[in-house]
Amino acid sequence: MSRSITLGHYLPGNSVIHQMNPRIKVPVLIIILAMLFAFKSIPGLLAMLIAVLLLFLVARVPFLYLLKGLRPILYIALFALIIFLFFTKGGVVLLRLGPLTVESDGLEEGLFVIIRLVTLVLFSLLLTLTTTPLSLTHGLGYYLKPLSRIGLPAEEVVMIMAIALRFIPTLIEESQRLMRAQVSRGADFESGSIFSKAKNLTPLIVPLFVSAFRRADELALAMEARGYRLGAKRTRLHEDLIKLQDWLVLLIALLLLAAVIYINI
Amino acid sequence: MFIGTDKLTHTYMPGTPFASDALKSITFSLEQGSFTLLIGSSGSGKTTLIQHLNGLLKPTSGKVYFDGKSIGPDKSALLSVRRRIGLVFQMPEDQFFSETVFDEIAYAPRNLGLTENKVEENVIKAVERVGLGHKDLLDRHPFQLSAGQKRLVAFAAVLSIEPEVLILDEPAASLDPAGKRMLFDLLSRLNRTEKITVLVSTHHLDEIAALADNLVVLNEGRLKMAGEAKEILARRTELQDLGLALPQVTEIIDELAVRGLPVSTDIYSLSAACKEIIRLKRADQE
Amino acid sequence: MAVLKAETIIEAKALYYSYAGEGEDSSPALNGVDLMIDQGEYLALLGANGSGKTTLLKLLNALLMPSQGEVLVKGISTVEAQQLELVRQTCGMIFQNPDNQIVATTVEEDIAFGLENLALPSKEIRRRVDAVAKRLGLTHLLQHPPHLLSGGEKQRTAIAGILAMQPACILMDEPTAMLDPAGRFEVLKTVKDLNKVESLAVVHVTHDPAEAVEADRIVVLERGRIVADGKPEEILTDLKLLHKLGLQGTVAAELADLLRQEGLNLPAAIMLNRELVESLCSSEQIS
Repeated sequence: MSRSITLGHYLPGNSVIHQMNPRIKVPVLIIILAMLFAFKSIPGLLAMLIAVLLLFLVARVPFLYLLKGLRPILYIALFALIIFLFFTKGGVVLLRLGPLTVESDGLEEGLFVIIRLVTLVLFSLLLTLTTTPLSLTHGLGYYLKPLSRIGLPAEEVVMIMAIALRFIPTLIEESQRLMRAQVSRGADFESGSIFSKAKNLTPLIVPLFVSAFRRADELALAMEARGYRLGAKRTRLHEDLIKLQDWLVLLIALLLLAAVIYINI
Repeated sequence: MFIGTDKLTHTYMPGTPFASDALKSITFSLEQGSFTLLIGSSGSGKTTLIQHLNGLLKPTSGKVYFDGKSIGPDKSALLSVRRRIGLVFQMPEDQFFSETVFDEIAYAPRNLGLTENKVEENVIKAVERVGLGHKDLLDRHPFQLSAGQKRLVAFAAVLSIEPEVLILDEPAASLDPAGKRMLFDLLSRLNRTEKITVLVSTHHLDEIAALADNLVVLNEGRLKMAGEAKEILARRTELQDLGLALPQVTEIIDELAVRGLPVSTDIYSLSAACKEIIRLKRADQE
Repeated sequence: MAVLKAETIIEAKALYYSYAGEGEDSSPALNGVDLMIDQGEYLALLGANGSGKTTLLKLLNALLMPSQGEVLVKGISTVEAQQLELVRQTCGMIFQNPDNQIVATTVEEDIAFGLENLALPSKEIRRRVDAVAKRLGLTHLLQHPPHLLSGGEKQRTAIAGILAMQPACILMDEPTAMLDPAGRFEVLKTVKDLNKVESLAVVHVTHDPAEAVEADRIVVLERGRIVADGKPEEILTDLKLLHKLGLQGTVAAELADLLRQEGLNLPAAIMLNRELVESLCSSEQIS
């Protein structure tokens, strides 16, 4: 049963993009997002869209995953398009529907916003598809480190997030098992009002909490038994080396951003 | 066919690169009133199969039958199946959530719409059936009980719907020797005296093999063997190749047979082994 | 066997332990335990639920501190806070539930966890992880996430994580209770092998007599006290004692006992299947 659960979107692979250091990947993504907002016209965004599609090819991500990743924003995109089509005026009238008109500026702006949204989602998707949640956590954790000076325990936060990642599949599996167990005892988690639904969840929530606390207890013991101490200095198996090509990617991204801002298209 | 499946296949996460077949075209059936063991190593699909028999999973393909009808997606039909087939999950005490033992045992019959009088009657009867006859126990918090008592309360929480069929997933897991003996006595009584159809999934055959009429063997989602317990337990090497351990007492008996003693090898419990050896020695003496 | 006195790894002296929050009248979880464990010794700790086995194990690993008495690990008292790391490095611990002791998201990261806590250099961690994985046959699983492992593989991963810290002793709290026969065999074989080849001391908590047979010595606990301490063939055939504590002897010992009650004449110390078969085949037993 456990085989049915996977974490996040990560697709195993060893492309150039997979191998990039997450400490660089994260700022590069931020630079790219900045670029998306720096472009003022459709052709620039189209270039970015083509670029991200090429990168998906490089990372060898099946096309299906792109569509799946875009599905959640489908309605937002459609809604935005309709708003722009009917409410932004200017340019040539393209279509008349009774009192409503679609004008060329509306079409242009609608497309602009949608391409930007799609490209933005695709770049983020590329990051999560090619980076394990754990290394993403460590990548983000690196930028939390300076905060330890103002009292945020950055190392511990990363450890907690890593453990959370480790236990998500276990807890999902457990909640499924509990749900089925109570359903077999005649529980009904689907019908009824919101209020009675919430009340019906007690047989699920209570055992789930009991077990989560027990797990936490046992895990803490196991960690302690293996020499883990809060605040102690730790090393890591995987040295977090930033390679030359990582720096180059970061540099190129920065130069591109500067160029886009300078050209102002 | 009382309970059974027809070419039942179950795939977790179908249509993704992570798709995996937990069950592959399983066809088997149980007779009413029989005692059947479902055996196989961890990950062989026992739990998935059991959950199908209670309509908790939807077959990817194939069918599940109960009492001549296919277990379908229809909700009220499913509820009536669950009223007649009691399912005890692995480590069932992990499901406890009530304030009192009484409420815990009353949960299933209440859900199934029994009147409060009938619920109370059933709870008391269930507690007696599992041998936890003290009245004051019903008012206690289930978390206060000992490990063995918790397990018995969990059994009572399913027996309180008065099922015709009882399905148990690894009921002996992490019980101590005394707890196990109590469990086997209970199962034997429910099946032999009360005529309840019993299906037990397990990977330990010690003692319980002697209770079974039939055996069903799963391996990596496939049905490997099914039939009379005697007949299947005789296929020793095949069972061992599947990573299944014979009852320890059977190993002693087999060794005696190898050494040339005319011993019947159809022996799966200590008491049976004792009887057989004594019979042998007496016959020898005459 | 050499008669040289082996080095003592663990020494427990007059150990008492009470869990806080228990009522005044409740008896302590450990009630005066003296125990010595030598290098390379395989010790089975037998006892019913609540007899204090797990508590004792936790005291030996400095997860709990004694209320009275002391535990010396290689001569170092577990109450010395500065030496905690050394104690835990010397005595690794394996828990019952394989799911709740794997910390990391891959096998290799989990094996590395203890070494990371020792703040070893990455290269050394890599070297030790690879060596231990090879030793325990886990190399092909290094990149696997824990939820895709079998129970036996999870427990062996936990053992690998301990072994990487190069301990002198491994403490195991019912490590096979949640495994199927194949997984159980896998784990027991691994531990037995480490005990023999690396001369690692093992303290194995169990209530399965078939597992305790493998030990050099068995200590039986009841209500926080040691009530028996001896060789497996002495303890596992003492059915009077075991039954009184809610435990059982080996199947051969139990069967021999039943046969004796039916009037068969069998020697007293039958523990193994082989021994029972041997005496049943050898001569006339009907008296």
